[in-house]
Amino acid sequence: MNKLVIIGCDRSAGEALRSLQETGYCLPEGVIYQPLPCGGSLDVLHVLRALESGAERVLVLSCYADACRSFNGNTWAEKRTAAAQALLTEAGLGQERITYRQVSPNMSADLGAWIHTLINLEPVEAQDRA
Amino acid sequence: MIIAERKPIQEITASLVPYKNVLMVGCNTCVAVCLAGGAKEVSVLSAVLRLALRENQPELTIAERCVERQCEAEMNAELATEIGSYDAVLSTACGVGVQTLAEQFPETVVLPALNTKFMGRPEELGVWSERCAGCGNCVLDRFGGICPVTRCSKNLLNGPCGGSANGRCEVDPVNIPCAWQLIYDRLARLGQLERLTAIEPAKDWSTSRHGGPRRVIRKDVKL
Repeated sequence: MNKLVIIGCDRSAGEALRSLQETGYCLPEGVIYQPLPCGGSLDVLHVLRALESGAERVLVLSCYADACRSFNGNTWAEKRTAAAQALLTEAGLGQERITYRQVSPNMSADLGAWIHTLINLEPVEAQDRA
Repeated sequence: MIIAERKPIQEITASLVPYKNVLMVGCNTCVAVCLAGGAKEVSVLSAVLRLALRENQPELTIAERCVERQCEAEMNAELATEIGSYDAVLSTACGVGVQTLAEQFPETVVLPALNTKFMGRPEELGVWSERCAGCGNCVLDRFGGICPVTRCSKNLLNGPCGGSANGRCEVDPVNIPCAWQLIYDRLARLGQLERLTAIEPAKDWSTSRHGGPRRVIRKDVKL
């Protein structure tokens, strides 16, 4: 079972991840990265399918506003992440399973920290019970 | 086109409680255009339902299909060989499509996943608004192409009520323009303001829902 699926714009999140890996970093076990050509190509279904396939959490990454090569891909990524979160909330599942962050290619250290934090959180079901 | 929106997920999950093997059937016509029940929405809704019911109904399986136009029996024929193997069908068509499936497959439970709202048009990305109430006796020729039956909150046919202010309707000034302001502006633009001096007689509502369920018969094309 994957603990975390990272879905990200390959121009920002992908670059940040590759920079991180150049320092010797390896994605922890149970963490997979799914690149998108742009945050604007994120679909609600990408997020839901990741959760359906067993991911505990999904991290969606797109560029900062005004940094998107396709102008507003980050806006769509954020809107569609919010739509997926709203669906989970409506279904009685915790929206905290889905996290959205804006990232730039030089934020490899931040990306490493986010991954570390997310995979070390309590399982969502345990949080729900609490 | 027909505009619909998804029912609340809790309502849908409650309707699925008695069933274990469900076929979700979308419709690729009106409800696909209004992003409520096409192939994409079937995939999203079935994924959410599987996630939502994973703990409480782990034995539930949901298969996905989408037909081109669920309100036409011919288009649903492709479902005939498999529909009997499911406990229930969850339809993301409008009410017409749901009823067509139910009539066509009388042994099958057919459940609606959408609320059918109105006949309307897309105003902008993500916004649809009502344009036709299906009154059965179109009056658009007399009102500059703007329907007072549909777009006036009170269906007034002889001018605005006292609730029209600044071109907006008192029912919801933010979202509803006064239909009579629209009619006036349009007729002024067309140079036909004199039309407003004519008294519109009381409408015969027997052509609308008030005359019971309606049928249209074309003898020239009926075998």
